[in-house]
Amino acid sequence: MGKAKVKVNAADMIGSKKMSPVQIGALLALIATFVALPFFIGNTTIVLVCRIFILGVYGMSYDILRGYTGIINLGQASFFGSGVYIGVLALRREADMLHFIVALLGATVFCLLVGFLYSKIVLLTGGVVPGAMITLALAEIVRNLAERWYTVTGGQDGLSLRASSLAINFTSASIRLGGRDKLIGLYLFTFVFLIVMTLVLRQFVMSPTGRVLMAIRENDQRAKFLGYNTDHYKTIAFLVSAVASGLAGVFFSIVVRFAGTDYLSIQTTLDALLMTLVGGTGTLYGAIIGSGLVTYLQNLLLNLAREYSDFRLLRFPMIFIGSIYVAIVMFMPSGIMGGVYKLQAMRKLKKSQANK
Amino acid sequence: MGAILTLLINGLAQGALIFLMASGLSIILGMMGVINFAHGTLFLWGGYSYVWAYYVIWNRVAQARFPDAYAIGQWGGSVVRVDRIALPSGQALPFHLDLLIFLAALIIAVAIVFFIGMIFEKLFINKVYNNAPAQILVTLGLQVIFTDVARFFFGTEGIQIVPPNFLNGTTRLWGGTIVHYNIFVILVGLAVALIIHRIITKSRIGMVIRAGLQSPEHVKAIGINIRRYFTYIFAVGAGLAALGGALYMPFVGAVTSTAGMNNQILAFIVIVVGGLGSFLGSAFGSVFIGLMTVVISLFVPALSVVANVLVMALVLVFKPNGLFGMAVNN
Repeated sequence: MGKAKVKVNAADMIGSKKMSPVQIGALLALIATFVALPFFIGNTTIVLVCRIFILGVYGMSYDILRGYTGIINLGQASFFGSGVYIGVLALRREADMLHFIVALLGATVFCLLVGFLYSKIVLLTGGVVPGAMITLALAEIVRNLAERWYTVTGGQDGLSLRASSLAINFTSASIRLGGRDKLIGLYLFTFVFLIVMTLVLRQFVMSPTGRVLMAIRENDQRAKFLGYNTDHYKTIAFLVSAVASGLAGVFFSIVVRFAGTDYLSIQTTLDALLMTLVGGTGTLYGAIIGSGLVTYLQNLLLNLAREYSDFRLLRFPMIFIGSIYVAIVMFMPSGIMGGVYKLQAMRKLKKSQANK
Repeated sequence: MGAILTLLINGLAQGALIFLMASGLSIILGMMGVINFAHGTLFLWGGYSYVWAYYVIWNRVAQARFPDAYAIGQWGGSVVRVDRIALPSGQALPFHLDLLIFLAALIIAVAIVFFIGMIFEKLFINKVYNNAPAQILVTLGLQVIFTDVARFFFGTEGIQIVPPNFLNGTTRLWGGTIVHYNIFVILVGLAVALIIHRIITKSRIGMVIRAGLQSPEHVKAIGINIRRYFTYIFAVGAGLAALGGALYMPFVGAVTSTAGMNNQILAFIVIVVGGLGSFLGSAFGSVFIGLMTVVISLFVPALSVVANVLVMALVLVFKPNGLFGMAVNN
């Protein structure tokens, strides 16, 4: 047989097998580590990790479209950014749990509407290329509207939550530890959000609908011939992705306490793209790993730029992040999780060959 | 009457500028099957290179001719810094020098971006033929990188630039105001459209390219290096974007780093409206969108951006492949 060429559908690896006790143990240990983590790190790091959690959800939501359905949506920032704006707008009135839930509902409804509109326009043209072009244009328009609608969005200045507004009663539950106030409530709140959303999205991907989406990604025509209304399924994927991004945006608003048009810009969409790419497109969990690496890197660049202010190149982080992004697309298109799955599949193949 | 004339001229000029940008995109898409999301940054580099070349040459000439010309400031970023020079009052460069400087700056700008385009094709685009998602991702990455590189080179603040003296005037006609520069831009757009159309349909190069799109294997079989053609097509597309950028900056009066993305989006709208990969479509789409933009920004300024997309959405509803679409959907 010579060299066996392994074509792995990373997506099919998710939930395709029962977990062994070792794996369950490892997963539990991982969760326990993350629950214990905030007790050992400072507040700056806690906030960073919170961002990683939330952007992980954002990345996964993007993966639903990019990785599972094969649509490149360059307007994902519209949903995430809107979520951030809705969160800040609601919490500016009163920063309590009730308003937070209202914000979540508001973001859901808004993203359903906008997502429906987006998907309709994208599906009119059908292809991946025009879809990407159109969503880029749509997102830019949403950003422009937000910039001009000064009375609500604060225009280019953006909107911020006052420091005390952090007091969503639950999330600000700070524990005095080592003489410092710690944002453990916030940390756990976002961590739970990450876990819940991971489970929900995993369920969606494993559901019959998710399987149809993968069929569409592999071969649109064929899925159509099999009798599936592909446009219908693509719309569903769009809506799920939009709502998940919007919810992530609302959670993001309590971490950053600021809403600006940057969150609606192409840069924010690129963040999502980069996270899914680094982690592995179409692997769902990859986005979380991607979020960790990308967010950490961005933070690092920001700190470096602050520290070495003479070194002007550092003021333009997109040069570095963009280069990494291009390098990954060209040289490592399956990302980290993609590589892991490939290794697993290769080992399996070897085993089965050895048994023969 | 006058107002309509003014509007018409402005709209056509706007359309001509969008066309220069969109035609490059359309040629690259139609002939190579490559979608270039880095077109905006090529446009931006065209604009910046033009402004840089124009000021550098102009400064030299002005200082040589008027020893008492003095610097009143500087502009630029971390790499490029150029003096602002004021001429003694009442003085100006003669027409022929102005013209030469203007043409030289245009040629330099187009040449620089032509070169950047060749590098893009050789290093990146080359590797992602027949893979639309990868094309989108790679070129989008190049877009953000090179936009930030431009900001690093030329600075983050806008740089003022006006048309050269001999184009910098207005004429009143039937109560309307006609900006000379706009007429010039329309003429350039028209000339470029005619030349390209002729090359595609009548010349040997155009024939090879069209054949290459249909069946690259056959073209290779008769001994034509189609890949080399592709490199030059991409570079020509980039050069067109640069020409658009160079002419656009004096049109709006300043270079800003957001101009690239904004115009790229306009060009996208144009080629979706015109039909993907159709050169004629992009020409008519540009004029259409240019006129629309001017009319709407006159009556409802706040809606000018949204209106373009509304038009696009309407066109798509009734003609999903665009007005002149050949449907390059993959």
